[in-house]
Amino acid sequence: MRVHVVHCHPHPDSFVAAARDRVLAGLAAAGHEVRLLDLYADGFVPELSAWEREHHLDDPSNKPDIATYAADLQWCEALVLVYPTWFSGQPAMLKGWIDRVWVQGVAYDLPEGSNTIRPRLRSIRRIVAVTTHGSPKWVNVLQGEGGKRVAFRSLRLLCSRRARSTWLALYGIDHADHGQRTAFLDRVEQRMARLR
Amino acid sequence: MQVLVVLAHPKGDSYNHAIAARASNALRLTGHTVHLLDLYALGFGAAMTSDERTAYHLDTPILDPLVREHADLVRAAEALVFVYPTWWSGQPAVLKGWLERVLVPGVGFRFDEQGKVRPGLTQVRHMIGISTYGSPWRYVKLVNDNGRRTLMRTIRMNTGLRTSTHWLGLYAIDTSTVDERERFLTRVERRMRAL
Repeated sequence: MRVHVVHCHPHPDSFVAAARDRVLAGLAAAGHEVRLLDLYADGFVPELSAWEREHHLDDPSNKPDIATYAADLQWCEALVLVYPTWFSGQPAMLKGWIDRVWVQGVAYDLPEGSNTIRPRLRSIRRIVAVTTHGSPKWVNVLQGEGGKRVAFRSLRLLCSRRARSTWLALYGIDHADHGQRTAFLDRVEQRMARLR
Repeated sequence: MQVLVVLAHPKGDSYNHAIAARASNALRLTGHTVHLLDLYALGFGAAMTSDERTAYHLDTPILDPLVREHADLVRAAEALVFVYPTWWSGQPAVLKGWLERVLVPGVGFRFDEQGKVRPGLTQVRHMIGISTYGSPWRYVKLVNDNGRRTLMRTIRMNTGLRTSTHWLGLYAIDTSTVDERERFLTRVERRMRAL
């Protein structure tokens, strides 16, 4: 399977980066073809510009800045997002990747005169989120689990109709001990090795 | 009352700018002191930097003078008003980044001795979100209206217990009429005057 891993954390030696490495190890063990995007290392610009807003309905071939990002997104059959959950959602860097790359002509079509988008990423049949939360799960549930719903509703609605989602989350990382962290990393690798 | 209006839209002539202008004027006419932060015009950077991430759990988590200025405005604010277009059911990256970089420990919340999160925005009496949506209301509800929840629940948890919340949404803006957009501006104005 063709897998696109999108990693987002400002520290190259963070726990989230360790989780990403285990994701890659698991995928490699399963023999999947992987393209990795490390948003911070890549110097991705997360701010959607006035020009992009002005031209948001244009054909994506006029947007060379996002061409490779868009090509990777359209290439994959499985999308794996690896990030820390901040204020119940994706960090701004990752949100910016969604804002700028999931555009008309790449992720969806918006027919003239309509207000409902038509999916374009039908080839994506798996969507995985690997994330850490500072707070315990019940706090996130109270907050409405925004990040999870962005991934598994807003984004997944543009993927295959039968796209399946996998949520791998470590809650309460601020109070997690070494054993819990290690167990989470093991779980991530094992789950990725079973990805079909 | 001290009101902080935070606006995130890349185009200076956008409808969201019109909303922020109408809201600010209405607030000023009612006698409130208003600070309007136009994040794109200020060149606010969305991404938390590596150094900021390192400093996050230290005594001085703020490194950028612009962020410090905004944090001071947040500390003085009795009402927070957010104006933005909803993209992918959430805040544009610039605004999400503003929350992450400005509402750091010591501003938005604090950690107690056990490391638990405690409210930092107890002086905020009103939280208002004003957003435009490309999608119709039903689709917005289907995907969980995540941006609204981030502000009205996640950030709201860091304010006082009696803080009021108000949400004003204009849905399916791409197919809205001039008249509908004008009516929405009037609604925004009325809501601000009633604060």
